[in-house]
Amino acid sequence: MTDTPIAEEPTPPPSRSPWRYALVALPLVIAGLVFWWGYNRAQPHQFSGAVIQGVSAAPDFTLSSDRGPVSLSDYEGKVVLLYFGYTFCPDVCPTTLFDVAGAVEDLSDDEAEDVQLVFVTIDPARDTAERLGQYVRHFDGRFVGVTGTEEEIGSVATLYGIYYRAGEGTEATGYLMEHTATLLVVDRNGNLKLVIPFGVQSDAMASDIRYMLR
Amino acid sequence: MVDTAAAAPSTTEEPRLSKRGKRWLIAAAVSASLVVGSVFAFVTFQPIQVLPRVRLAPGFSLIDSYSQIVTSEDLRGQFVLYSFSYSSCETCDSIDETMLEIQEGLESADIRGLPVRLVTISVDAEDTPATLAAYADSIGADPDIWTFASVEDDRFLGDVVAGGFNTYFAQEDDGSIRLDRTFVLVDGAGIIRNEYKYQTQTSDTERILRHLGVLAEEVENSTGAASLAYEAAHLFLCYAP
Repeated sequence: MTDTPIAEEPTPPPSRSPWRYALVALPLVIAGLVFWWGYNRAQPHQFSGAVIQGVSAAPDFTLSSDRGPVSLSDYEGKVVLLYFGYTFCPDVCPTTLFDVAGAVEDLSDDEAEDVQLVFVTIDPARDTAERLGQYVRHFDGRFVGVTGTEEEIGSVATLYGIYYRAGEGTEATGYLMEHTATLLVVDRNGNLKLVIPFGVQSDAMASDIRYMLR
Repeated sequence: MVDTAAAAPSTTEEPRLSKRGKRWLIAAAVSASLVVGSVFAFVTFQPIQVLPRVRLAPGFSLIDSYSQIVTSEDLRGQFVLYSFSYSSCETCDSIDETMLEIQEGLESADIRGLPVRLVTISVDAEDTPATLAAYADSIGADPDIWTFASVEDDRFLGDVVAGGFNTYFAQEDDGSIRLDRTFVLVDGAGIIRNEYKYQTQTSDTERILRHLGVLAEEVENSTGAASLAYEAAHLFLCYAP
């Protein structure tokens, strides 16, 4: 009888300091953050275009813009987006330029400063440097449009894997150009690294550009 | 005795915490070893092999032996093997023989039914569709597989062949053309995946047919999650020999 009350007496729970929990939780949280950071770093970036692994120096060229001669090498240290199109293009060229402008807008000011779009005309007969300048700046004030002689444009386009051909019609009646509509990305070291097909949205482009700016 | 009793609580608490810590440490070490081991095994044993994406193939417009325009865009979506020759070439037999062997080998090659095209580009601006047709016929080229063509605008012949395909050719004083034996394999996206310039112990025919199989396997299998494994193979340079 005398033993029972003593046995039933509730034992106070051991006092657990919140610091003790914190000591266990903190390393777990840190480990989790480190794992998440490592996972994201190790995850290969999913490019929206075809990546060229080889060190393939983008062929340099010098063409004319309404603000003077422009060479690819002028933009060394920047990521250069090269697009071959023409100002009379009804659909593909303006859509691509609109998407590129959207992608550049998605970037921070510092990032955007290191990106340059160069629009090379494949229709030098109709696209003057002035017309090109006005056209590309309509999409983004930083864009540059360049032109040259037929031979110069033909050589540059060939080396960048671009095919183009004028359709039926004349300069007076108008004609459409058939052309490769890929967007080419040259990295900060002047190597052609990425070929983005037509139809990639601006957010995917921005993600690729941001990755290449790292 | 008093000392031992007083020290007991602390000795029972500390090992419990450190054991837990040890377990975490071991788990982390095992996980890290697994990751490093997997990467090492992937790179060493190369369960997936790929061909490198070397550079962009040039853009062009050709006229074939039927006087039809063939552009680089027309050839998208299929594997294309390029060779360079010309109708009056007297030293191009080995180039044509290799192309012919590949044409025949395609029937039994493991290319998963994917389309393959052979294209021989003439480096002689004097070649016409008629001379190319006669040339193709004399070799025994199957027109359904093998196209003979010259560059439509010969101002860009050098840009296409030398600049784009990196193949040396030069007109000699006697009118003949000096030409490097080169084969170039291009994928459906218009990217050069391999160049065959130098003789190796394995014949060009065998290597090219094997490489076509490697490309076909990549095209067929690199979808969904498996595409990550193929990208890893590119990243870790797991290139097919």
